[in-house]
Amino acid sequence: MKIGIPNALLYYYYGPFWTEFFKELGAEVVVSHSTDKKTVDMGIGVSVPEICVPIKIFNGHVLQLLKSGVDYVFIPRMASVEKGKYFCPKFMGLPDMARHSIPGVAGKLLTMDVQSRSENIFSPKMYYSIAEKLAVSDKRIELACRKGAEVWRKFRKLGLGGRTIAEAFEGLKNPNRIKEPVKIDGPKIGLLGYVYDVYDEFVSMNVTERLRQLGINVLTFEMLSNRELKRYIKKMKKSLFWTFSDKLLGGAYKMFRERSVDGVIHVTAFGCGPDAFLGKLLELESEDSGIPFMTVRIDEHTGENHLQTRVEAFVDMLKRKTVPVGDAI
Amino acid sequence: MKYSFPYLGNVLVYKKLMEMLGYEVVVPPRPTQKTIDLGTKNSPEFACFPYKMLMGNYIEACEQGAGIIVSSGGHGPCRAGFYGELHERTLRHMGFDVELIIFDSIKRDLRGDVSKFFRLKGKNSLRKVVSTGRIILRMLKDLDEFDKKIHTMIPYETVHGSCLKAFEEIRMSYDRCWTMKETEMAYEEAKELLASIKLEEVDERDKIRIGVVGEIFVVIESSINMDIENTLCSLGCEAERSQYIGEWVDHNFFGKGREKEILKMGEDYIKIIIGGHAKQNVGHIVDYSKRGFDGVVHLMPFACLPELVSQSVIPRISEDYGIPVLTLAIDEQSGKANSMTRIEAFVDLIKNSKRKKMSAKTA
Repeated sequence: MKIGIPNALLYYYYGPFWTEFFKELGAEVVVSHSTDKKTVDMGIGVSVPEICVPIKIFNGHVLQLLKSGVDYVFIPRMASVEKGKYFCPKFMGLPDMARHSIPGVAGKLLTMDVQSRSENIFSPKMYYSIAEKLAVSDKRIELACRKGAEVWRKFRKLGLGGRTIAEAFEGLKNPNRIKEPVKIDGPKIGLLGYVYDVYDEFVSMNVTERLRQLGINVLTFEMLSNRELKRYIKKMKKSLFWTFSDKLLGGAYKMFRERSVDGVIHVTAFGCGPDAFLGKLLELESEDSGIPFMTVRIDEHTGENHLQTRVEAFVDMLKRKTVPVGDAI
Repeated sequence: MKYSFPYLGNVLVYKKLMEMLGYEVVVPPRPTQKTIDLGTKNSPEFACFPYKMLMGNYIEACEQGAGIIVSSGGHGPCRAGFYGELHERTLRHMGFDVELIIFDSIKRDLRGDVSKFFRLKGKNSLRKVVSTGRIILRMLKDLDEFDKKIHTMIPYETVHGSCLKAFEEIRMSYDRCWTMKETEMAYEEAKELLASIKLEEVDERDKIRIGVVGEIFVVIESSINMDIENTLCSLGCEAERSQYIGEWVDHNFFGKGREKEILKMGEDYIKIIIGGHAKQNVGHIVDYSKRGFDGVVHLMPFACLPELVSQSVIPRISEDYGIPVLTLAIDEQSGKANSMTRIEAFVDLIKNSKRKKMSAKTA
């Protein structure tokens, strides 16, 4: 049995768990190849025009998997991974959208509700609903959850050590040759953005690597522990009620208020709803702290050159601030 | 301290509520292009349209001296739950000394809501608040009832404009009410007034009914949705909205109404409540088609999160139930002429297909 997992959205966060989970259940796991122009175009064809790019890309990945002849496509309904917090409504209606708008999904949809009180979404209870469909026993599900959780924890540990998600994925693949986290002697930039924007190389045009090539130390929210992310959020009267937006805000507050970075870049997708509000909060925070802040908004039409120019200009400006007047950068 | 509120639907009722409790009220002006421009200028570019409209609305209210704005909020996953926070920050940033009292979900923050309630109660006795609440609720429901009623009459009125004129008179007579008895009398008078309007005799089979579903702000507030109901009526169709404030209050405060049933109908398409009214809207479309409506207009603010999900599944419902649906995205950029053309074409198509069905039946 072949189970396809779209290489998009929260695959960048929970992918290692899901992959291991289905492998343990005895299925052959097919992960769609990374995003390219064709995937995006296919996705656009079946999506509502106004919807945000990450969802269009997700739909493209689903089509890619269907084409490769999988038996099931795994599309979980991401409802909540934190008490009192949710996901963007589009995540909560993801299987509904796929089932009713992508031709061919209806019979091959494998879905379950992720409704958890914490980030650890390994409670077998949530996964029993798919046991019947895959003809496995509940016991096997429990075992698979445990095995998957182990892998995921390893994955997160790599990330918390200062590696990007891409590097953490690499580390999981070659456990014997785990690279040390990259440390660059230079200004530090907080790179804020959802994992599926920042680490999708097609979307972000590999902005992390670009920054590093310019001699920048990159800090992202997944390198910070949950406790650090919560420190300043706790004091808010009402924080954002989307888990990952809240994490980004927590990360940003830590960066701005502890002055632990020299600049902040916010990577966001065109039409992202939560980011419209998050962006405003970041803007206000930047004004108060005086730390430079830039928003990079990307969509399916973005060209590479404009990103390079803007990132370079931002970095030059940061470097100039630290160099005495008259010296060369 | 002057009190104000967002402009949404029959604002007369909110005004009455505050006045009855003895507060000085600023009624915000009906949203115009200026309101929307003001709001857009002071909002994040990608914020949703209702946010911008309310922003402009609040600014205009503050300019007229409002010090406290009372509104309802929510707690996700739709963005409306965070409106209050950002609105207040922005208004303060602009130099207005204003406070927003937002009632969030009662289940989540009972203590906070109770303390807000007592603040608004002020020196009024609890008994007075309850009796006022009853009168207001009555007014709300009555006005909704007439609102619904006249939009089934306008297409057939013999004297153009007589229904809307009558509705305006009804509103004014309710504005003069202070007690339950007066309200009841106003209700009887209003009923008589509506009954006296002359209507053309139209065969039941020739009537065209169109439902209006969508995001609550753009469905209810006629000043920002191109006056959709009256527009449809002027094209010879009866129109009914999926949202009325009275029903909203009934469901959210008393758990009454048809909403549960509607949610059940939407289950096949959107399994869980994903915020906003996406699931309800999907259910309403199914409901309209079961009740024999001829078409549905689906209104959404540009890039509204929950409505994008319902927009994605609507083509399937339309196919399953054979009911035509027209989706219109509304924002500060939408031009009336463009939407008008689409609505006219939509109504023409419905009329044609209905005529064809009829002639096929008689043949």
